Amino acid sequence: MTTRKKKSEQAVEPVYDGSIINIIELHKKFGDFDALKGISLEVMPQQVVVVVGPSGSGKSTMLRCINGLEQATRGHIFIEDVEVTHRATDINKVRQKVGMVFQSFNLFPHLTALRNVTLAPTKVRKVSQDEANEKALALLDKVGLKDKADAFPAHLSGGQQQRVAIARALAMDPDVMLFDEVTSALDPELVSEVLDTMKDLAFEGMTMMVVTHEMGFAKEVGSRLIFMDEGLVVEDGDPETIFTNPQHPRTQDFFSKILSHI
Amino acid sequence: MIQLNEEGQNISEFEKPEVSGWAKASLIMGILGLTAVPVVGAILAIIFARIAKRQILQTDLEGDGLATAGQALGVIGLVVVGLAVTVFLMQDRLREFSRDFFDWDTMKYSIPLLGQGFLVTLKLALVSEACILVLGLIVALLRISRIKIFRFLAAVYIDVIRGIPLILQIFVIYFGLTYLGLNFTRFTAGVVALTVCYAAYEAEIFRAGIESVHKGQMEASRSLGMTYMQSMRHIVLPQAVRRVIPPLSNEFIMLTKDTALVAFIGLGEIFLTGKEIMGKKANVTPLVGVALFFLLVTIPAMRGVQYLEKRLARGD
Repeated sequence: MTTRKKKSEQAVEPVYDGSIINIIELHKKFGDFDALKGISLEVMPQQVVVVVGPSGSGKSTMLRCINGLEQATRGHIFIEDVEVTHRATDINKVRQKVGMVFQSFNLFPHLTALRNVTLAPTKVRKVSQDEANEKALALLDKVGLKDKADAFPAHLSGGQQQRVAIARALAMDPDVMLFDEVTSALDPELVSEVLDTMKDLAFEGMTMMVVTHEMGFAKEVGSRLIFMDEGLVVEDGDPETIFTNPQHPRTQDFFSKILSHI
Repeated sequence: MIQLNEEGQNISEFEKPEVSGWAKASLIMGILGLTAVPVVGAILAIIFARIAKRQILQTDLEGDGLATAGQALGVIGLVVVGLAVTVFLMQDRLREFSRDFFDWDTMKYSIPLLGQGFLVTLKLALVSEACILVLGLIVALLRISRIKIFRFLAAVYIDVIRGIPLILQIFVIYFGLTYLGLNFTRFTAGVVALTVCYAAYEAEIFRAGIESVHKGQMEASRSLGMTYMQSMRHIVLPQAVRRVIPPLSNEFIMLTKDTALVAFIGLGEIFLTGKEIMGKKANVTPLVGVALFFLLVTIPAMRGVQYLEKRLARGD
């Protein structure tokens, strides 16, 4: 929680309303394809925003625009009071505040689990290796993998790799975590260990944006649900309400298709 | 034919099958063909073996192995006779050949001199390779740079250099440098020429290696706040280099051999040394010595590459 306090001290700009992520009229084109057609969305501290929608609806593209992995075609994105989409912004600084976990883990295969976690703090923050190790071990302990610190990614299961990836992102002390379909590439029996780690994180007050197909997680952990379709936010509100009483026909259609399987 | 192993027969009554007489004869003829009765014995051995094999196919007789042995001895006998006749007929030429290519005295005289030349060759190869690795990596990074002009220049460099014979580049660079007022030694000029040439090839190898690293690696690294260069250095290159070690080692072997081309601008490496001794002694033996020196390095190196390939393949 200490990071939160620091942030409110930093927030000096008068217009800044305390949001962690503020997206204004975000457009993204890939060639002729409109991936995002004007997204506006504000994420407040400690919110767990679950983003659902059919594939190709722009969920991942939105996440990737937030930390600058994709460049917005039009519109503005703010992380706290810094505009990601501004040309003069040092994107590397912004990314330190935004942790990201990927569908395909993307652990560094030539480094041990521990080194995966300590690399960025030592290279970017210039933290000493000892200090970084200590913190990394604590984080690995938190995700239940302290005993795997010296293992290489190839010797870890998918679920373990994904938990190391979460620890790796947490090592930079981010203010918000983005999860891009992090359980989609996992064997079914490994999904819960990753979701449990994310649940713990949410209960600790981490601000999270979670693109997922795990409706159970959305219901239990999500403080807000966003339904996207064809590059637009179609519905935005309390998960329980949207599940039980979706307003938009497209949301109704989507949930009728997937909820029947649960 | 006698039925030797009729059904119901007791094992104790089982008789050893008879061996074909033709097969035995073939083996005997084969031995004779190599000793007392050359040519005729060998030919008979082959003929008998064929008869024996046909017989064995059609009947229950044994001795196929014997027939094969006879046949082989027959063939060997013919080859030995053939060689002996050739050597006898061409003995003058062969004597000249062995004197010109494998003269022991000349070899003894050449080896220390060639060894000195070979040290120059090795130094040239190693110094060049070090420069090539650096320049090749830089060109590869420019080739995949986001800045268009860098990409363009790197592509032009790679294509032009790869399109010109190395021997031409060596001449052009050596004389070109002199015109520019750069009085390089022959060794330096050789290093520059080999570096400029080989860096173009190794740049392409590096590029392929870098591009073979999944782009998620770069994204994950960048998402942690690392810069492009930090990500390249700590994440992408370590993985890329591991994958290209075998092709890079092959390039190094080729480079070692191509150092011989620098002899054409007069650098006293092993090939030029060998050529000079050859001229002085009017004997080709020194060049055979040069070849042996190269093999001394290249064969272990090739084995080494193969070992590396296996180890790296297992590691992934």
